[in-house]
Amino acid sequence: MMRLIAFLLLIAVPILGVYTFVNAQEHNWWFPPAYSTFAPDIDWLFNFIMYMVAFTFIVTEVALAWFVWQYSAKRNDKGVFTHGSHKLEMIWTAIPAVALLVIAFTQMETFAKIKFASGFPTDGPYTREKPIAEVWASQFDWRFRYPGDDGVLGTVDDLESSFEFVVPVGVNVVFHLRARDVIHSWFVPEFRLKQDALPGHTIPVWFQATKEGSYDLVCAELCGWGHYKMAGRVRVVSAQEFDAYMAELKAKWFSNGKE
Amino acid sequence: MRIRTRSCVLAGLALWGAGCQLDFAPEPAAPVVHYALGPATTAVDEAGDPVVPLHVQEHIAGSLGMLFGTPSSPRYLLTEEWVDEGFDPNWPTAAADDQGSGEFSEDELARIKADNERDFRRELAAIEAGDFDAVRIPSWMPDLEQSWRDLLAGKPAEQRDDAFKGEAKALFVDYYPTLRESAEHFRQQCVHCHGVEGGGDGPTARFLNPRPRDYRPGIFKFTAQADKSVPRRADLYTILDEGVTGTAMPSFRRLSKAELHGLVDYVRLLSIRGMVERDLVTTYLSDDALPAEAVLESYASIWSKWKGADEKKTKYDGDVPAPSPESIERGRTLFMDAATGNCFSCHGEQGRGNGASAFTTSPETGEVVPAYKDDWGNVIIPRNLRQGIFRGGRRPIDIYYRIKNGINGTPMPAAVSSMTDADIWALVHYVGSLSSQPRTRAHRSAGHAPHDATDPQQSSPGQTSSGH
Ligand code: HEC
Ligand code: HEC
Ligand SMILES: [Cu+2]
Repeated sequence: MMRLIAFLLLIAVPILGVYTFVNAQEHNWWFPPAYSTFAPDIDWLFNFIMYMVAFTFIVTEVALAWFVWQYSAKRNDKGVFTHGSHKLEMIWTAIPAVALLVIAFTQMETFAKIKFASGFPTDGPYTREKPIAEVWASQFDWRFRYPGDDGVLGTVDDLESSFEFVVPVGVNVVFHLRARDVIHSWFVPEFRLKQDALPGHTIPVWFQATKEGSYDLVCAELCGWGHYKMAGRVRVVSAQEFDAYMAELKAKWFSNGKE
Repeated sequence: MRIRTRSCVLAGLALWGAGCQLDFAPEPAAPVVHYALGPATTAVDEAGDPVVPLHVQEHIAGSLGMLFGTPSSPRYLLTEEWVDEGFDPNWPTAAADDQGSGEFSEDELARIKADNERDFRRELAAIEAGDFDAVRIPSWMPDLEQSWRDLLAGKPAEQRDDAFKGEAKALFVDYYPTLRESAEHFRQQCVHCHGVEGGGDGPTARFLNPRPRDYRPGIFKFTAQADKSVPRRADLYTILDEGVTGTAMPSFRRLSKAELHGLVDYVRLLSIRGMVERDLVTTYLSDDALPAEAVLESYASIWSKWKGADEKKTKYDGDVPAPSPESIERGRTLFMDAATGNCFSCHGEQGRGNGASAFTTSPETGEVVPAYKDDWGNVIIPRNLRQGIFRGGRRPIDIYYRIKNGINGTPMPAAVSSMTDADIWALVHYVGSLSSQPRTRAHRSAGHAPHDATDPQQSSPGQTSSGH
């Protein structure tokens, strides 16, 4: 009886695992929707690696089960001593090595496009040299600093906003990521974009949002006791709305305080 | 082997059972928590005896309880005059002739409603779809939850027509938190720093520098107020909306406008409560008695300060002038002039916050230590103006307010009366120029922030405690 329950519990693990996997999409347990131009590439890579790993997992587990059954004490009364097989070892070293190389080469293009200087947009309104804004991470909030009329960051006419980063849709957005105190990490799940922010460094980051809306910006690097609540928001708006927002921000910035 | 399997299975079943149990267990009744008395009331003299006798302390606690309620159900006691006027600060959104305090303009009320529509979009969609069970109300809105349940109970499921849906939606769109709900929200979001009484003494506080604000003296740093007046609602709202850059006080813009306004209500209640408490102690110590009239008088006089706060707002009607080389130069002269600005004496000639008067040599140890303390008794050093971190905001008008009015509760003084607006704007421009670091290409290609390596304060942004 107890053996049966134990067996049922054991078998419940793979059954539940497969069940959650199959139903994930429907119940929103899977990734949030992909809303940046390179997000589908990242998802493709994720799925590619996941299926590869899943295949390996199943093959090895089946082999394991077969060995357990085949070489159980009941079926063999005497063990055989062996020094191992050089050939087999070569094979199971070479296959993962090849698999890793395949992964490495497959992802290279996407990685370069997102992170390498050569992959950065050069044509649109924003470039590595002329970012839309500076994004400042500090314990435990996000602040966004847009250049003012002079188009140069770091001068007195810079406009600043907290919590909400407003960017135009369908445009390559380049920003400079900076940290004031410790290491933080920019993460917007819908954009599939994650980048550490290091104190003392200015790190250019780019993305192009494909859908208007508000997306959570979270800190993905344990940065202190308040890490869990280091949240912000990226609001993606149309070009007109973006201009209106900047005008509003500017009016607020140079207001004379009269209400 | 047998035993092991069995105990595993049993443990699993037990855990599962416990999980179910947790779901269905009735909530224990929360014990009534009272606000604790502040340090001024509970102070002891050298001999260890209370300065304010215990029975008077009890009297003060009782009076405060009558005026402000408890943390789980805070509310203001209505005075007779208020009843006559039709003024009730327990209902800030309602107009005065509608038994409220009428503190909101129509525009602001419209903005709150629009924001509620965004914040409650899921609930509103569920109501529209007739899926009333899908409506989830956050744990800090017990009163809304109650109204919602009452509404549902009043109409059986089959009678819920469009008119009912409209009524149900209005409940959410018109939402404004009660003081009780804001207190609960404050407990969830702010108490760990600001403490139950708003004394700035929550469990996280001792790790922070600067310390979280103690609201009880009624001193707030970053306001547009002249003459060290208590703040206006708008000042407190801005603090919650923007946070205090460079300190642990974060922006709470993720909350809805209604929730933020509710938190402002509650900060104000804690602050008024603290001010009344201190006032009662002073009255007792000078008169040796504390009659009921004195309590009500103190309540009314402190409330009148808050009611009259709007009149204390710094008036500036002109434009915000743009900086020019001349105005920056003029600002520099004022900054360095002992008779007018005298800023350099604290902020240093380079604006690095290391002026001669900011530090002294300790007579005991011979070490150089900060010379100033703020009104809450914490060590304070003048700001390093080269970092470009302005806690009260980096907008020109914010810096104008700081220079014109000083920073309440800190040694930073208000501008001397001989200074004109033009002088103050010149100082604003000069101060702004100190942290202006145009990000040139050279800086960027090096991949480094244009930081000043010689700057001692650069590495300690003053956020986490440096343990002095
Ligand atoms: C992580 C700790 C922390 C939390 C959480 C926090 N605060 Fe603060 N708060 C601070 C600190 C630190 C300061 C003081 C900043 C200074 O002195 O420059 C402050 C200052 C303030 C001030 C005074 C600003 C002024 O002008 O003097 C108000 C009002 C305030 N907080 C309200 C709130 C409210 C309401 C909440 C909850 C929604 C909250 N705080 C949550 C740390 C915190
Ligand atoms: C008695 C010393 C003292 C003098 C004189 C003084 N300050 Fe300050 N100042 C301070 C201190 C202390 C602070 C930090 C307050 C705090 O921590 O909140 C400060 C902060 C500031 C800030 C930062 C405000 C913010 O939002 O963070 C500015 C700007 C400033 N001072 C400008 C001036 C100017 C301009 C003058 C001359 C007109 C001046 N100060 C004179 C002590 C002084
Ligand atoms: Cu962080």
